[in-house]
Amino acid sequence: MRHLKSFIPIFVYLLFFLSIFISFSSCTKKVEQQSSEFGFSGTIKVSGAWALYPMMVKWGEEFQKIHPNVRVDISAGGAGKGVSDALAGLVDLGMVSREIKQEEIDRGGCFVPVVKDAVFPVINAANPALSYGLAQKGMTRQQFIDLWITGKTLSWGEIVGTELPEKVAVYTRSDACGAAETWAKYLGKMQENLQGIGVYGDPGLAEAVKQDKLGIGFNNLNYAYDMKTGLPVAGLQVISIDVNENGVIDPEEDLSTKSKAIEAIMTGHYPSPPARDLYLLTKNSFQGLTRSFILWILSEGQNFVEEVGYIKLAPTQIERAMQELQ
Amino acid sequence: MQWRRLKDAFATNSFRIILSLTNSIIFIIAIGLFIKGKPILFQKSISELLVSSIWQPLKGHFGFLPFIIGTIAVTAFAMTLAVPICLLSAIYLAEYAPRRLRELLRPVIDVLAGIPSVIYGLWGVIVIVPLVRWLGQVTGHITSGYNLLSGAIVLAIMVFPFIISVATEVFLTVPIEAHEASLSLGATRWETVKHVVLKAARRGVMAAIVLGFARAIGETMAVLMVVGNVAKVPKSLFDPAYPLPALIANNYGEMMSIPLYDAALMLAALILLVIVTIFNLGAHFTLLRMERKSQ
Repeated sequence: MRHLKSFIPIFVYLLFFLSIFISFSSCTKKVEQQSSEFGFSGTIKVSGAWALYPMMVKWGEEFQKIHPNVRVDISAGGAGKGVSDALAGLVDLGMVSREIKQEEIDRGGCFVPVVKDAVFPVINAANPALSYGLAQKGMTRQQFIDLWITGKTLSWGEIVGTELPEKVAVYTRSDACGAAETWAKYLGKMQENLQGIGVYGDPGLAEAVKQDKLGIGFNNLNYAYDMKTGLPVAGLQVISIDVNENGVIDPEEDLSTKSKAIEAIMTGHYPSPPARDLYLLTKNSFQGLTRSFILWILSEGQNFVEEVGYIKLAPTQIERAMQELQ
Repeated sequence: MQWRRLKDAFATNSFRIILSLTNSIIFIIAIGLFIKGKPILFQKSISELLVSSIWQPLKGHFGFLPFIIGTIAVTAFAMTLAVPICLLSAIYLAEYAPRRLRELLRPVIDVLAGIPSVIYGLWGVIVIVPLVRWLGQVTGHITSGYNLLSGAIVLAIMVFPFIISVATEVFLTVPIEAHEASLSLGATRWETVKHVVLKAARRGVMAAIVLGFARAIGETMAVLMVVGNVAKVPKSLFDPAYPLPALIANNYGEMMSIPLYDAALMLAALILLVIVTIFNLGAHFTLLRMERKSQ
């Protein structure tokens, strides 16, 4: 008996690991979806782009309020991860913040736009060129190309047409992301062609420009504008794009507040890209619970969009998406 | 009686298995990385991958040179900053500082070692980057502050606690008799440190530096937040750099739809592993040779 005593700890360990194993295996068991008087039930797994993550969390919460037996599991990790997870069948929906590539469609990717977002060029609020009318003149696409693509180091003076000798400090994102991809697409290239100092993450890029008086960068809507005040984030200035290149920022091109920016995107005066659709992607076709969820997002779900700080889809887009789902 | 022997045999064998498992992990990692990175090795020659400095994955150009140079430059410069400061601190702590001060300071240094690297990164963005930008202005370099120098400074600060605590520990093991003998011959305190303590402890000091280096070369988050991440070979301290760990962390999981990108990132990881292995083996054999000489 004495010897047996020394084995007791081993048994305890074995039991411990066994219990962990059992608890894990029960987690992965997928609850089958069925309709009942409590609405839908089941689990929807989502992963993908950071750009869509806060929106998805809100939608998940609201959907679970209506259907208490539904669980929405959301994890972020980037657009590429969302696509590969969805195509590999690891998740039901992948969140994508860039255009869907042809290879991904060929592999069975099926997607709908769910919400709009945009990327804005931002400069430091203390930029010396602002006192020479930069805010009134805005910047043109060609000037952005000179800065980010050809790398012709322009001075702020050249941009506003004065003698200012200070060189522009160009910033870009270091991590592979939808925002940089979208901005590059606006300039006619891919993310790897963007010149400039690479900074990690949307908040990082905003911080870098905030600290550099001569800096210029780009940010997603929610990082360029302050959620509460609707003005650009303190220390930043969103620079309006002179789309028709008449040398003046017309009222419809004005991006000085968030509501004006959203107005410009909705009316199409802000070019697309950098305005962009965010997508949900699934393998082959939307079915069952996932389909119900998407239909809800495209109808009632759109009511939460502005609250979280995104831009609603245009009614025609919703109609087209709905038709595809039918 | 039988039980006792049985248990002994059981212990010997099971510990042996556990040891071989832990030792084989490095090979398992290397083989895994190699298998995943194979596709790119079949299509491009290894010399082209290592020597080319053109990084344009979409056009099929995978040149690792900027990343390899970036990794080595950031680490080497961080170590040249850190080693003298750390050794002098450790000598002060072990030889000069009053006992109470030493006991007070050691936990503080240990706390430094436990701070998550992302916090060092944030602090680097807020403090070091503007400082380096100002330094650049003073010395006539136009720089954003996101450059090799910032990366090296942040990295040096991150390895301080490792080198300082190991080196202090090593200096403290030098026997008191050695001090006494030296002092009794009329040597000053500094002469004692220089000729007796440093000599007796040089192997341990070497080990401390190797530990700091190993920590520095793979550091990812803090460095990538301040180093600028531009895939060009840096020409000066005020140029941005792009170390291998930053490349992997920035792109893994995002660009998988580009053919060969996945394999290229795996190969990057393998290159990093090889660099670390070569360095560690080199340090190991240097230590062995020192040991043999001293015998």
